[in-house]
Amino acid sequence: MLRISRRTFALGIIGTCCLSFTPTIAIAQADREREERWQQLVSYLFDDREVVPTDTLIKIEAPARAQDAALVPITLTMPEKDKIKSVYLVIDDNPIPLAAHVTFGPAADAGSLRLRVRIDTYTNVHAVAETKEGQLYSAVAFVKASGGCSAPSGPSDLEAMKGMGEMRLKLSEPSQQGNPTAATLMIRHPNFTGMQMNQLTRLYTPPRYIEKMTVTYGDQTVLDVAGDISLSTNPAIGFNFVSDGRQSMKVVASDNKGGRWERAFDVSANN
Amino acid sequence: MMRILRKPRSAILLALVVFMSTTTGAPFSVAEIREPDGLWTGPMQGQTPSTLNGARLIDLAGLVALLPQQPVLIDVGPAQKKPKDLPRDRLWLPTHRSIPGAAWFPGAGAAVLEPAKERIFFRRLEELTGGDRSKSLVIFCRPACWGSWNAGKRLVARGYSRVHWFPGGITEWQEAHDVREVTPERGWGPER
Repeated sequence: MLRISRRTFALGIIGTCCLSFTPTIAIAQADREREERWQQLVSYLFDDREVVPTDTLIKIEAPARAQDAALVPITLTMPEKDKIKSVYLVIDDNPIPLAAHVTFGPAADAGSLRLRVRIDTYTNVHAVAETKEGQLYSAVAFVKASGGCSAPSGPSDLEAMKGMGEMRLKLSEPSQQGNPTAATLMIRHPNFTGMQMNQLTRLYTPPRYIEKMTVTYGDQTVLDVAGDISLSTNPAIGFNFVSDGRQSMKVVASDNKGGRWERAFDVSANN
Repeated sequence: MMRILRKPRSAILLALVVFMSTTTGAPFSVAEIREPDGLWTGPMQGQTPSTLNGARLIDLAGLVALLPQQPVLIDVGPAQKKPKDLPRDRLWLPTHRSIPGAAWFPGAGAAVLEPAKERIFFRRLEELTGGDRSKSLVIFCRPACWGSWNAGKRLVARGYSRVHWFPGGITEWQEAHDVREVTPERGWGPER
């Protein structure tokens, strides 16, 4: 027969309670750590300006689990687009967390923005909208991905750099006067992170990434993009612009190693 | 299943496993990686064997079953290495999340470990196990990481009798459980 003293029984009850609570506590702690990380990033990236969570000013859409950690599609939606001056994309646990800062110009329609990024680990991804009045609002998504920053970009660095700077622009619908037109700009560039190791030589490929892209329509700016290593190889950016059916679009891109590329696209309605 | 394979018999056992899995129709990886005699000196990222002589291979369920024994959890995953010519205005802020309670020795599975580092590793292991060589240890990093295999090998050679190698590592763990931020063990240093 098993004889259990009252004391043992009481301890057992307490133990069982503690055990059953442990997972909840662990998750709460993990969440708190992620929140602390975000607050740390806010203080570094936004000089301690207040960043307020929002459900309305910016929304982020990201896959819950990435199929390819080096190529994760992210869509930002800004329903009150006329209030928006710029957006930041921050991948909290990437070693270089700021992926891009995109400033909208007068020719832009700031309603949406699409990017492809590298994600290194299971992490929160924050989208931050800066209003024209200078306030910051954030939305967050959790993405499961592993190793996006160190994933090799191809058989060799030289191969990956072939055709560097070539650009393509796709319009998803014929641009009509007065309506926003959706466009996708792609630029061929390895966007080396500096964390990719050549398995044969065991050397790290130095970082080489698109640092700046400016898109203009006629004489007006559409976008200014400040990029970083977290943008995927062959960076692609989807945006909307307000077409008047006549002007041409010009793109100037440069990287951190002095590369500079320029291209004009005919985006007129009868194209 | 994956019991300790004594070296002279391992080839026979392996042949037996192959024979049995082909006759029973169970899936079996054709490109089975053989254990190197000593530490693995090739690229640290790549397919690893499904055995570690002297240690026990465990999956997530095995680890969860082991946790009540409070094993010493040893993460040997590499630390992010800051790119050499990263522009100075870029915010470099790596973070490492691991199994809660893990002791992190970034790069302790390197084939060649400086003698000073090896001493720190072993001394810290003494502390973590309270000098008990039969204490359960769990060594891990991420899948396809020879670092955890090597580190396990080191500890087996050091005389630890309950070394568990968890090749699924952080990746497998975080599918079902949350992870916690860890910093490298004191005195170990941040280098890979």
